[in-house]
Amino acid sequence: MGSIAKIHEMLQSKQVSCTELTKSYLEEIEKANGELNAYVCVTPDEALQTAAAVDKKIAAGEEIGLLEGVPMALKDNMSTKGIDTTCCSKILSGYKPIYDATVWEILKAQNAVMLGKTNMDEFAMGSSCENSCFGGAMNPFNTCHVAGGSSGGAASAVGGNIAAYGLGSDTGGSIRQPASFCGVVGLKPTYGAVSRYGLIAYASSLDQIGPITKSVEDASLVFDAIAKQDKRDSTSLGAVGGTTYDKLNNDIKGMKIGIAREYLDGVRDDVKEAVLAAAKVYESLGAEIVYFDLPVLKFALPVYYIIACAEASSNLGRYDGIRYGYKTAHYTGTHDMICRTRSEGFGEEVKRRILLGTYVLSAGYYDAYYKKATDLRGTIIKAFNDAFTHCDVILAPTVPMTAFEKGHAVSDPVETYLTDICTVPVNIAGLPGVSVPCGFNADGMPIGMQLIGKSFGEATILNAAYQYQQAAPEQFKDTKWGVKL
Amino acid sequence: MGCKAVKYELVSGFETHIELSTKTKIFCGCTTQFGGEPNTHCCPVCIGLPGTLPVLNREVVRFAIKAGLAVHGKIAEVAKMDRKNYCYPDLAKAYQISQLYEPLIIGGYIELNSGRKIRLHHIHIEEDAGKLLHQHGDTYVDYNRGGVPLIEIVSEPDIRSIDEAKEYVEKLQQVMRWVGISDCKMQEGSMRCDVNISVRPEGTEAFGTRTEIKNMNSITNIARAMAYEYERQVDLIESGGKVVQETLRFDDATGTTSSMRSKEDAHDYRYFRDPDLVTINVPRDEVEALRAEMPELPGEKFERYVDDYDIPEKDAALLTKYRNISAYFDKAIEGVKSPKTVSNFIIGQIFRRVETESDKEVFAVATSPEQLNELVKLLDSGKIRNNLAKATLEKMLDSGKGALEFISESDMGGVDDNALLALCKAAVEGNPKAVEDFKNGKEKAIKALVGNVMKNSRGKADAVAAEAKIKELIG
Amino acid sequence: MVTREDVENIALLSKLFVPEEELDGLTASMQEIIDFADAINNAPVSDEGFDNINNLSNVFREDEVVPSYPASEILKNAPEQAEDHFLVRNRE
Repeated sequence: MGSIAKIHEMLQSKQVSCTELTKSYLEEIEKANGELNAYVCVTPDEALQTAAAVDKKIAAGEEIGLLEGVPMALKDNMSTKGIDTTCCSKILSGYKPIYDATVWEILKAQNAVMLGKTNMDEFAMGSSCENSCFGGAMNPFNTCHVAGGSSGGAASAVGGNIAAYGLGSDTGGSIRQPASFCGVVGLKPTYGAVSRYGLIAYASSLDQIGPITKSVEDASLVFDAIAKQDKRDSTSLGAVGGTTYDKLNNDIKGMKIGIAREYLDGVRDDVKEAVLAAAKVYESLGAEIVYFDLPVLKFALPVYYIIACAEASSNLGRYDGIRYGYKTAHYTGTHDMICRTRSEGFGEEVKRRILLGTYVLSAGYYDAYYKKATDLRGTIIKAFNDAFTHCDVILAPTVPMTAFEKGHAVSDPVETYLTDICTVPVNIAGLPGVSVPCGFNADGMPIGMQLIGKSFGEATILNAAYQYQQAAPEQFKDTKWGVKL
Repeated sequence: MGCKAVKYELVSGFETHIELSTKTKIFCGCTTQFGGEPNTHCCPVCIGLPGTLPVLNREVVRFAIKAGLAVHGKIAEVAKMDRKNYCYPDLAKAYQISQLYEPLIIGGYIELNSGRKIRLHHIHIEEDAGKLLHQHGDTYVDYNRGGVPLIEIVSEPDIRSIDEAKEYVEKLQQVMRWVGISDCKMQEGSMRCDVNISVRPEGTEAFGTRTEIKNMNSITNIARAMAYEYERQVDLIESGGKVVQETLRFDDATGTTSSMRSKEDAHDYRYFRDPDLVTINVPRDEVEALRAEMPELPGEKFERYVDDYDIPEKDAALLTKYRNISAYFDKAIEGVKSPKTVSNFIIGQIFRRVETESDKEVFAVATSPEQLNELVKLLDSGKIRNNLAKATLEKMLDSGKGALEFISESDMGGVDDNALLALCKAAVEGNPKAVEDFKNGKEKAIKALVGNVMKNSRGKADAVAAEAKIKELIG
Repeated sequence: MVTREDVENIALLSKLFVPEEELDGLTASMQEIIDFADAINNAPVSDEGFDNINNLSNVFREDEVVPSYPASEILKNAPEQAEDHFLVRNRE
């Protein structure tokens, strides 16, 4: 049984009160956060307030919803009214939004108990969480290793049992990669399944919010809750593929699971072996493994960086020290104030991507880079559609390696970008992808595999992931940290 | 300019911004009302708070299509929104959502009285920026206007004189008000023009280097700025200099233009498709539905008044300047013999009571078009005569009452044909002298005879008919 | 080929200051990233084209007024404000 269902049962059957449970989570955060650095802001008052409300309902003998009273965390790029929302950037220091993101509005209405906001790479730009102005989140399996990024805090908190589940955002792998590094489940939904309203934009055509959880059931439950069409987000469609939780137990005999050879290129051996072992497990469950080529994948990474940086350069133009956030102390004139504020407020990686994005959009380069990348996006989508004519689900590594040691990532930009090679194609094509633990390397660091589905095929990939979880429970290891249910 | 060895031709194109009078802003539900306390017509979306997203106001698209139809433009089947990136404190997101690659309206034209057509390149929809207030170096920002919907009407460089420029702006203003998409109040900034201007030796084809005068907010200033800029460019060229392509601001006080350029704005807007907004498809049946809703346009009405009612062009122009006036006129002429008479009453007497332009635009007149119609019909039927009608109309306009309130039975009834014949016979027989004079070619003599008829009919006979009869009798 | 001038220009467009001493380093790292991006130049251009993910069209709001926020809320996060305006005070 997943943690959420378990907590629900414990609350409903009064084995524990929501207040007690919330307190124990808050205590464990106290103990663990110094090392994990998963939370950048903890909200005990709000949490206990909601918990009290839930206890009232239970005391009154009312039925509570599945997510009601379950302690959780939001990535710090989701707008929370009156609660600091900084994207872990100095430029948003002290910013307290005056409105709630749609996902938070939905969960709040169901009495979700928010424990706080989780750590991330500044503006979700990074793969280690070390680009956070609060310092990186650490890996619950070994705190000398990074939690991954950009949703590192959420993955660390869930892996470290100091949140039952977390919401992350995924632009080029920011949910799946840290989930893989931290040995938890991370779902990047189909573009448009979950509203982006209130998600502070990195790259608008790639960003999606999704759950990071201990189990596939949990991911499915949370996805079903947040995948709603939102009239405030023109690109939102909701769960076109229907709910997923009720479809978890479908057997996968005869399911065609595709492996694109290109996904295995340049992947470290231990990772490759773990993924191929998982393929064997699927065969034992009656699925059929089909190999195929996806040559266009070799363009995915540059296409991703061109599009993401171009959109980011535009999305991040608004941080000018006038309406909210950081403002430089000393300046002469408005232009100078804006330039100083931005130069002092943004970190190096963010500045680098803004400059790159500005470059690829600027006169004389637009056609060669941005336009070309957008055209190729069409080609990549087509390639995936073709691939799904020979298979139902694509199996791939989530990351070519396991969590690296702290301070290791930030050396060379391009080399760092390569860690995203397996995750970005899904964002470019707007497809759903779920990362599931599938093994451990020699040092005991988790390895993740990725199941990629057709557009709005969440139910299919989650069911496939669930079948694996049932068949290989040993890959879902717990850590020493946090609340033991 | 006449004294110059070479004559220079002025070449100008306009970029006109018009605020649409939708109820709400283009991407959020905030009101578009003019003014209001600072930052009270704002929400997270229109001040660009992180994480907010735009949702396009359907009415903006419909209004823009009406604008397109009003200027004979082609309504695109597919249109898209782009981001125009530039960082300025009045622009909350540091980009303006606009259209570059696939605008909603393509082509179209404004026809001048001369019959010349000023071609339009396209019309696109976009959002307005906030307002900046500069006080001793401090900058105050109010975002009430931020996100108010605009259309930008971009003309080809077809304008060849300051008069054409003025007429172009007036015609644009007239037709956009006419179709009800904007009040086009230049003084309130709901209509603003950027004027592109260059000069070239008369008879040559190649365009000269152009300058752009930004944000002109009155027709008078447009004329002043263009006159100044024309002279400046001609003098520059005459003295062997070169015109630099740049954007200029016009100084109302000095009547001169000056460069707006500063090293701070290296302009490169980096336009790209806005990923937060989806494609606009305009179904043809929707366009046809809107076309059907369109009122008869001022140009068409003008033609009709001149051709069908032989109303002088000068008067037809006055009647079609505002939609309410022509609507009043159209009602008042229903079933009358001579619409020209109605036109004369409106322009002659009624206009004296609605002097200002804004009064003319509203055209709230005490006498309803139906009442005027009734009066004119009495005239048509010969039951009353012109000077009585005129006097009556004044009383009607004072009181708002109908004609019959002021015209007694005895004033009416006129004189039937037999009675008229009798009266004329009497006049001829009773004034042999006048008859003689007339026969000897003294045209005026006939007036005496007609006067006699009028006197004996107590002014009720139709003078024109009487004169004709008398001429008949005298042979 | 990314030049110092390119970097200076895009920095200005991006409203970012690049200290003289960092300019060469930044130019080099930009060049490295651009070289890597250049991989797409030899990618086969197919005629698929791309409009938007899920090919959505005609998503609109109705023209109905929604109450605005009070100025106090709108200005809540402003680093500087005066008379219900956002303010950039002249520090010259």
